[in-house]
Amino acid sequence: MTIRMLPETVVNRIAAGEVVERPAAAVKELVENALDAGAHQIDVVLRDGGRTLISVTDDGCGMTADEMTLAVERHATSKLPDDDLTRVLTMGFRGEALPSIGAVSRLTITSRPRDGEAWQLLLEGGRKGAPQPASHAYGTRVEVRDLFYATPARLKFLKTERTELDHAVDAVQRLAMAYPEVGFTVSDGEKTRFACASETDLTGDEAALLRRLAAVMGRDFSENALTVDAERDGVRLFGFAGLPTLNRNTTRHQYLFVNGRPVRDKLLHGAVRGAYQDFLARQRHPLVALFVEIDPELVDVNVHPAKTEVRFRDAGVVRGLIVGALRHALAEAGHRASTTVADTALGALRPGSGLPYPGRSAYPTGGSTLPRELAEAVASYYAPVEGQIPGLDGASAAAPATVDDDAAAMAGGDHPLGAARAQVHETYIVAQTGDGIVIVDQHAAHERLVYERMKKALENGGVMRQGLLLPEVIDLDDAIATRLADRAEELSELGLVLEKFGSGAVVVREVPALLGQTDVGALVRDLADDLAEMDTALALRERLEEVCSTMACHGSVRAGRQLNPTEMNALLREMEVTPHAGQCNHGRPTYVELKLADIERLFGRR
Amino acid sequence: MKLTIERSTLLKALAHVQSVVERRNTIPILANVLLDASDGTLTLTATDMDLAITEKVDADVSQAGASTAPAHTFYDIVRKLPDGAQVEVETDAAASQLLLRAGRSRFSLSTLPIEDFPVLSGGDLPVAFSLTADELRAVIDRTRFAISTEETRYYLNGIYLHAVEADGEHFLRAVATDGHRLARVETALPAGAEGMPGVIAPRKAIAEVRKLIDETTNPVEVALSDTRMRLEFDGIVLTSKLIDGTFPDYERVIPTDNDKVLVVDSGVFAAAVDRVSTISSEKSRSIKLAVNPGSLTLSATSTENGSATEELEVGYSDSGLEIGFNSKYLLDITSQIEGDEAQFILADPASPTIVRDTADDRALYVLMPMRV
Repeated sequence: MTIRMLPETVVNRIAAGEVVERPAAAVKELVENALDAGAHQIDVVLRDGGRTLISVTDDGCGMTADEMTLAVERHATSKLPDDDLTRVLTMGFRGEALPSIGAVSRLTITSRPRDGEAWQLLLEGGRKGAPQPASHAYGTRVEVRDLFYATPARLKFLKTERTELDHAVDAVQRLAMAYPEVGFTVSDGEKTRFACASETDLTGDEAALLRRLAAVMGRDFSENALTVDAERDGVRLFGFAGLPTLNRNTTRHQYLFVNGRPVRDKLLHGAVRGAYQDFLARQRHPLVALFVEIDPELVDVNVHPAKTEVRFRDAGVVRGLIVGALRHALAEAGHRASTTVADTALGALRPGSGLPYPGRSAYPTGGSTLPRELAEAVASYYAPVEGQIPGLDGASAAAPATVDDDAAAMAGGDHPLGAARAQVHETYIVAQTGDGIVIVDQHAAHERLVYERMKKALENGGVMRQGLLLPEVIDLDDAIATRLADRAEELSELGLVLEKFGSGAVVVREVPALLGQTDVGALVRDLADDLAEMDTALALRERLEEVCSTMACHGSVRAGRQLNPTEMNALLREMEVTPHAGQCNHGRPTYVELKLADIERLFGRR
Repeated sequence: MKLTIERSTLLKALAHVQSVVERRNTIPILANVLLDASDGTLTLTATDMDLAITEKVDADVSQAGASTAPAHTFYDIVRKLPDGAQVEVETDAAASQLLLRAGRSRFSLSTLPIEDFPVLSGGDLPVAFSLTADELRAVIDRTRFAISTEETRYYLNGIYLHAVEADGEHFLRAVATDGHRLARVETALPAGAEGMPGVIAPRKAIAEVRKLIDETTNPVEVALSDTRMRLEFDGIVLTSKLIDGTFPDYERVIPTDNDKVLVVDSGVFAAAVDRVSTISSEKSRSIKLAVNPGSLTLSATSTENGSATEELEVGYSDSGLEIGFNSKYLLDITSQIEGDEAQFILADPASPTIVRDTADDRALYVLMPMRV
């Protein structure tokens, strides 16, 4: 067999296989080009899921005929001005996208620079035509027809039109999140699938970013997002983290951007899990969108042809920064529970039949017909009588512990959870606040309080360690054993004392007394996995906290126990001063707040 | 099969065998007890495939035969019959029902074919010896508390029985450990046990044996192989599989150079530990021992509950030492001490401590300390 050079068309098709694995990848490359060209508006059209046509139109800087001819050559790029791969400032830099796409499709580029004429260039299956004069507005339009016609095998592996379109929309959305100042549209030729206008008003970058994130992740997110902003060792992290009570069962809604580049990185999911571990059940995942700004020299983006992965020179710093910043944001949020909870509650409320006050039907709906002062007077007239909750009839609450209004002062601003008014169904505490009511799940709330107290005791008192009479030797991969042994000090603070035992094994000498008789081998192996994947001893912490949370569950006030007003108020006051009292250990809310305005809306007063 | 039997006789035998039967079974026949009547004797057998108990009782058998019946139901019925009742047990012609009659009560229990009932054969048991019930009780009681319940180290889920020679004397030695503490008890090696293999008797079998020998005064005949053991006394035969594993080299973990000897009044000490540990947290139960010449201060603190201390007069003349233990482990050990005094042999706060009964040098306990 003789060795020969492959023809260039084949080389390009092979390269295309790496860069353009599906229509979404082509869309991503083209949109990134448009962003690098300084576009303010990018319109994407996909027909048949991108199979017959992908068209990306921008209003960027455009290209001249000569540039265009060069652009479709391999490794030709306008980016990377000083040929330094360690300082990549643009989205692209490899000079591969256009020739790769051109190698497997019929590519038409039409472009007009600001001060030039429009030219058009056709590329078919890798064969380049000559530039033709054309007519076009400023900017560039790239049209990709019959993608993969030159590589039928790839064509066969495409999923349904809908799936491919979804992937493409996802790719554009990710980029859109990083570029709030650019407007995007994606359509399938008939319907607009995603659109967001350029966010360029003067309300500030943060508000613009949040609006853009809301366009992609939903309004729930923007309403329940905490601002994250932190800097350490020259790495800046900003973005938004969702409240724990807003959670999903996949990590899909966790976005990470490094220098404006959307990346998928295990590091992010691990760090997020670490930061939220206390607040969510294991299978639930919060929503976050985080942006890392880092010196381009400290990050290698040239890992993956599609550039969805990056490598940090010091992943530990980035991870620590993410965990620290998220924890900080969550701690500041205190006991705030997600508004989605209140919204769900409101959605579930139905206007009651039967009117508690006969005269009420005469009340005009839609206060706009009354003069403002009069409306207020009427409202105050119909305001609930102090110390009594309308609608509380004997049947629905067997023994409501109605609280007298001597505690009315508590409803003021100092006490966000207000004054306890009653306990209903011996499970929920109803409290009145300055501008609404709060319903507290007494068991969930107390459980969280006990849990926080235990955790604090654990932190202050140190973890008791039970020595092992028969030290347990656990065989592991040598690298893993070394990694565990390197962290021995940190682990011993958590009650696990181990050391290296020859090569490829560790010996465990002491275990946390809290765990009782436990499967040490399984624990150490889980720990090793955690260290490998996320660089943190999460498994051990989780187990300790699991014991705490079981004990907390058993040691807290159950649903069904009657509380007297003093007890209820004491619970509310403690919730206010305890961090993270807004959700139970499983991410469910411990209380919901209904604003007076919401209640009034329910009754048609607004 | 047709027979008549005294209710109390049947109840006692059923109580013995039915406790082997698990409450929930994936194999239906294992929920049943095998009844076999012949020559004035009724033989009852129950098994969970690892452990089988067979008991023979006198009965007035008018027609020999065999059947099986749901063990727990059968037991509950007999338990609720009036004292002194005569129970008639009979199978119907097709042997698909077991009929019970006592006084005016009638029960009909569905049966399963006897052929399905698994036989746990003893196989060849080359080693045989005899132990007094007292010896066996002492050996089990002083070790079983230390048996591990953690299933991954299955070889610790039982008592390790083996023959040893020390200073020219031969002993039968029983050892149990859960990795945190260890109990070792010896008794004179009975005749016939010289060549016995080291075996690990599983926890469930130990618990059953202990229940069965609670009242007997007769010697217990033990027969062993590498994989099975059989105990026989008072018409009861218990056969059990042994744990197929290697018991760790426990001798290595028993310290030999501990030199600080603390002697406490075991009753006073146990009561004090119990009192002080009330304060320590529910899960870790830690308690601290501050030993000084002539005195011992027990203390416990918990961020939730507060703290407690108690001072005891003890025999100690070495340098001062502070050491922490799990109070439950201390109580487990002190409750096994029959003499007035317990002897703690200490080295330092991180090393295993030996506990002995001053009145009984056949038992030895090792306890790992707890640390903050």
